[in-house]
Amino acid sequence: MNPVACQSGVDLLMDFLDGVLPAEVNAALEAHVAGCERCAAFVASYQATPRIIRDATVSMLPPDVEASLRTFLRERTNAFKKP
Amino acid sequence: MTMVVPAVEPDDETLVARAAAGDDSAFEAIVQRYQERVFRLASRLTSDSEAPDVLQDTFLQVYRHLPSFRGDSQFGTWLYRIATNAALMHRRARARRPADSLDMYLPQFEADGRHAATPAELQVASCADEMLDRQVLAQKARDVIARLPDLYREAFVLRDLEELSTAQVAQALGIESSTVRQRVHRARLMLRGYLSELVGVKP
Repeated sequence: MNPVACQSGVDLLMDFLDGVLPAEVNAALEAHVAGCERCAAFVASYQATPRIIRDATVSMLPPDVEASLRTFLRERTNAFKKP
Repeated sequence: MTMVVPAVEPDDETLVARAAAGDDSAFEAIVQRYQERVFRLASRLTSDSEAPDVLQDTFLQVYRHLPSFRGDSQFGTWLYRIATNAALMHRRARARRPADSLDMYLPQFEADGRHAATPAELQVASCADEMLDRQVLAQKARDVIARLPDLYREAFVLRDLEELSTAQVAQALGIESSTVRQRVHRARLMLRGYLSELVGVKP
């Protein structure tokens, strides 16, 4: 295939990381990133993004919401009726 | 001497079969097992204030539809589908302005297809969590997820935040794996650019 330009490499990045690219395209993309400082930097930030957003949006179930869920289900189903 | 045998938690398949046959204690165990995950998903797809309603709707629907769950997919995937739809219903029910475009955060290229930004600028989003106050980042992250188009948000939240596989997301959303990848990719590009701008660099 033709040498990968940064832009076409970005278009393929998700498929690359998911391991669904044909072997020759995969190899061409790997070779491009290995020799392109900008793409290496881009890939690093592309991979970091989900982790950063994930860590920033972790929320725990508050006890009052859990209690409300049980009350709600008790009123509408046969569950949670035991003392 | 008495042997203490550790209790073995029944797997989903067993609990679902018992709950579908009318065993309410099995349904309660399912709620106990999944309530944290459904709440977290709901708060990411809507907001902390709407998540309790989505949580309730989700488990009520699970209760009602369990007898018709055929096991074509994993129970968890089926549950995520119900929760995602419940969240979407809540978003649609609330009056809101149309999502503003996040296209401005997409990466920029020169005419020959090379990145327009420098390596340092391209990498900076990786450090957003070190450079920003934790609470500020938490709020900004929720705000920007809310600004994603619905189709991108669902795919991104399930794939990247709840960490389902691409195939599981495809099953939960009823779309092809290739479509999941397109939507997640687009969302990642937008969010990456947004993080760059948050720390003061144009994407």
